[in-house]
Amino acid sequence: MSATTDRFRGYRGPCRALMERLDFGVWSEVRLETDTGVFEGLVLPRSETSDDLHIVLKLTSGYNIGVRHDAVSAVDEIGYREANYRIPEKAFPSSPSKPRVKLLGTGGTIASRLDYRTGAVIPAFTPGELYGSVPELADICNLETEKLFGIFSENMGPEQYMILATKIGDAIRDGYDGVMVGHGTDTMHHTASALSYMVQRSPVPIVMVGSQRSSDRPSSDAARNLISAAWAAAHGPIAEVMVCMFGPTSDRYNLLHRGTRVRKMHSSYRSTFRTLGDIPVAMVENGEITPLKTDYAPRRDDREVLVQPVFDPKVTLLYYYPGMQPDVIDALVDKGYKGIVIAGTGLGHVNRATYPALERAHAAGVQLFMTLQTLWGFVQMHVYETGREILELGVVPLANMLPEVAYVKLGWALGMHPDAPEDVRTLMTTPLAHDMTEREPHDGYIVLQGGVPEVQAFFGRALK
Amino acid sequence: MTPKKPALAPPSDLNPRHDPALDFPDREFGELTRDDYAALGFMSGLEVHQQLLTRRKLFCRCPAGRYVDRYDAEVLRHMRPTLSELGEYDGTALMEFKTRKEIIYRLDRSTVCTYEIDDTPPFEIDPEAVESAIELARLFGLNLVSELHVMRKQYLDGSIPTGFQRTAMVGLTGTIPFVEPDLGVDRELRIRQLSLEEDSCREVADVGHRIIFKTDRLGMPLTEAVTEPELMTPDEVRGAGRLLAAVARATGKVRRGPGAARQDVNVSVAGGRRVEIKGVYHHKRLPQLVHIEAYRQLNLLRVREALRARNVRHEDLVVPGDDAPWDASDLVADVTRLKAVRHARLLSTAHERDDTIVAVRLPGFGGLLSHRTQPGLDFSHELAERVRVIGCPTAPLFLLHSDSPIADVRWDELRNAVGARAPDAVVLLWMPRDDAATSAREVLLRAQDALVGVPAETRQAHANGTTGFERILPGADRMYPDTDTPPLPIADATIERITARLPELPWNREARYQAMGLSHTEARWVARAPWRDLFDAATATAGPLTRRVAHALGKRWGSHGGRDVVAGTQGEQMAAAVRAVRDGEVRVEALDRLVDDVLSGMSAAAAVARYVGDPVPDAHTVVRHAAEKAQSLDGRSPETQLRFAMGEAMRQLLGRADPKHVRTELRAMLHAVPETAK
Repeated sequence: MSATTDRFRGYRGPCRALMERLDFGVWSEVRLETDTGVFEGLVLPRSETSDDLHIVLKLTSGYNIGVRHDAVSAVDEIGYREANYRIPEKAFPSSPSKPRVKLLGTGGTIASRLDYRTGAVIPAFTPGELYGSVPELADICNLETEKLFGIFSENMGPEQYMILATKIGDAIRDGYDGVMVGHGTDTMHHTASALSYMVQRSPVPIVMVGSQRSSDRPSSDAARNLISAAWAAAHGPIAEVMVCMFGPTSDRYNLLHRGTRVRKMHSSYRSTFRTLGDIPVAMVENGEITPLKTDYAPRRDDREVLVQPVFDPKVTLLYYYPGMQPDVIDALVDKGYKGIVIAGTGLGHVNRATYPALERAHAAGVQLFMTLQTLWGFVQMHVYETGREILELGVVPLANMLPEVAYVKLGWALGMHPDAPEDVRTLMTTPLAHDMTEREPHDGYIVLQGGVPEVQAFFGRALK
Repeated sequence: MTPKKPALAPPSDLNPRHDPALDFPDREFGELTRDDYAALGFMSGLEVHQQLLTRRKLFCRCPAGRYVDRYDAEVLRHMRPTLSELGEYDGTALMEFKTRKEIIYRLDRSTVCTYEIDDTPPFEIDPEAVESAIELARLFGLNLVSELHVMRKQYLDGSIPTGFQRTAMVGLTGTIPFVEPDLGVDRELRIRQLSLEEDSCREVADVGHRIIFKTDRLGMPLTEAVTEPELMTPDEVRGAGRLLAAVARATGKVRRGPGAARQDVNVSVAGGRRVEIKGVYHHKRLPQLVHIEAYRQLNLLRVREALRARNVRHEDLVVPGDDAPWDASDLVADVTRLKAVRHARLLSTAHERDDTIVAVRLPGFGGLLSHRTQPGLDFSHELAERVRVIGCPTAPLFLLHSDSPIADVRWDELRNAVGARAPDAVVLLWMPRDDAATSAREVLLRAQDALVGVPAETRQAHANGTTGFERILPGADRMYPDTDTPPLPIADATIERITARLPELPWNREARYQAMGLSHTEARWVARAPWRDLFDAATATAGPLTRRVAHALGKRWGSHGGRDVVAGTQGEQMAAAVRAVRDGEVRVEALDRLVDDVLSGMSAAAAVARYVGDPVPDAHTVVRHAAEKAQSLDGRSPETQLRFAMGEAMRQLLGRADPKHVRTELRAMLHAVPETAK
């Protein structure tokens, strides 16, 4: 970035013109004379997405204010104070008796610090930086980090899944006792399912972790999530791909969710990740890992792992709605899609109007699979005639596989068997990493209803 | 470009005068003059928090002002300090973290949503609150910002579940007239700033490591107005508090009632530094609080002077690091097993609870722990308060010291255990082991502060005018932008609209009322009264009755619910009733009753009809009947008989007949009552 751009960072249009005309810039300490009085403060960079009409001042009280450019009549530059964004590092203490854990970064902010002068959030990622903000990690493991990408989780996709899977395989073969993956929460469950397929039979835990409240705030869940994930990765007995996030919204314990059964269920709650159709595989509380399931893959001493980083992106997830026009499906076929996962209604249904389009797709060799919008429950297409008709069109039911998981699996399966449609179908209908289960326990579906007396009574006793 | 150095710095917490008046005599509140406070170097500033009367909370759609005791659920949280760019924790943040508190929030579905418990990002800022804050900023004569930036101000005490308060600066640098003839004050008061912020939780209980909050008040909009620290006597502090409240109430858009307006007051004396006393609910309490705080600071400076004279240095009070202080420091000993405390009756429950008992030696502090600091309190209270807040003991008694030794603890043995010599003091603490370690360190930290004099603290006000430690005073470092809310430009049209309908300022009203013939005291009283608009409506055509109307409203308003009165229809009715008196339709003696009737919702016509309507009583008959009734009260004094007869007669003749004439007639009928017996 050039010195000039830096001097006017974020300022465009009239503000930029004013700054050039009156010769001040970002980090200038100024006394602005305006038609509503004098304002003193440090000129901060302007956010790129904000308008081009206001200059941002940080007052000595710590407050920021905006002053409109056309109110400013004179500027007295009285000082200069440039902010320093660097986080001081403290060496991460290593101890030969502690397990080695590799933390792979994908972007998003697992841990961060604030620059109080500017309010900028500085991501912390190197072991030294992480030690500075979450020193408890040093009591758990010897941590090493590697930053793979610097992107928000919505920009994660097949390409990143494959790199990540390869890197995890490398870390396992390099002898790490556990792997953590720092990830934004929005698509964490997509990545978790991709890793569940691409990295199989791992001898060590692969634990994905993120935060719902950014770590620059005192009430953040980031530190607790990171600490719990480190315990699970370094010391946990479960060698599967898992997501480690808050159990309840209270600061009490974390849950380990299987990568193929987990889903983000609330846009902002801390307890947003839930295992659907089953119970979580374990709880983590104050460093203690308590399995809730017994059928987990146990940690092993060997370094054998099956890494299959492939993905065919010409697959899609089609969310059915009443009144869907068949040309939506035709368009997908025309565009060369090789696989469509349908999220159908009820037990796995779509309307009759789409039948001919589905038939054409099937005839064109497009793989068609049925999953459920209800998220909970099994696809059961023999119950109603509609279901039986759809089956005859070549749509393959996927039991209780979650729609997003089915999408990821189909991309992976097509990558595994690009020229063998039958093998794709077989792979899709074969349970892997618990993506389809034989049984749904009664407590695999719990959406408590607020307001009813017994739930009120429950929350009167238990912390939410 | 030549490199330039920073020029702007936040206002200093140090009192500008460094020469403490150590020899100044101890005096109670009320005994000092303005010159005495000047000699002490007393200075004070106010931060007035005023809840706004909005329908909704500031950043969510929950109702504002609904207080409940019930709750549906509880949430548990902890707070972690975040590091500044220098790799340092803010002092307050570190202290709060040391307390390792479990914070419980009680949630009631009708008063909070997922926003308050930090499970949902903020919604757009409440426009009603923004407009009220702008209006208030205009009344304070502040320079309005052109764009509001919501900031996060860190609070790790748990009072806000996010760990920060969302707050935005609205206006800066204004002045208002500050005229208090009784105090000899006639100058301007500078207002530093006005911000708009969300209110915090209400504390339910704080015992040991668990603190419980109600969340109903959380998120309600309030403004914080800050004065410059230029209030020079305790009475000026009260006067300024009243003045700021009067300006806020002039808008008619602020809440009233307990807790709706709360002030924090900053105090220092020469040689001292800014100490903030939080959450004072009434101006009446301010003067005594700040007086006592001034003397607390003076006494801390006297302690410092004594320590200097004894050559006690900072390095004599080294605070041990992470290791157990009894292992790491020769100032601290674990004395749990010593005979010295084994049989002390006061410590029997400590032994039962299996507490760790710790002795801390404070070199050179002998005799100073009993140095008076506040009425009924001594320097050991400073140590005990730090321990109470940071060590979180659950037992009510947890600290003893060698300046007031109790009989059955063997202090000589304890002194030996920590190697105390004659000039040293020894502090004894007992509580669970981890807390005892934290507390021993805290005692040493507070003792270090004694060498500085006055630690910059936030203190809680107690009912008797004394204060207790609440937390270390936070710095400007705890403020950072709220990344969840975009900047909000204030449109010119909004400002014009608000400016066009600005209410009359209290001092302008006062001047107007004085011009109408009220005294200064009366004018101020009416200008700040909740019924001021009704008074204006009623007196628009009152003529010479103005003063009587003021007193009638003042007397009667309280018995009608005591709420803010909006003039409107009631104003028209009040004006009509007053006109009936002015025009002689109703005699002036009936004014109080007329005002009462209109306040209770009666129309002027109906109220007036009670005094002019049919049937018109025959005055002579009424008076005669009253006199006869009075005479039948055998054995009563003539004065009593007259009073009774007056009451009887005026009940029917109020507003119709001149009471003087009635009295003269009655006296004539009752014969015996002499003129002087009135």
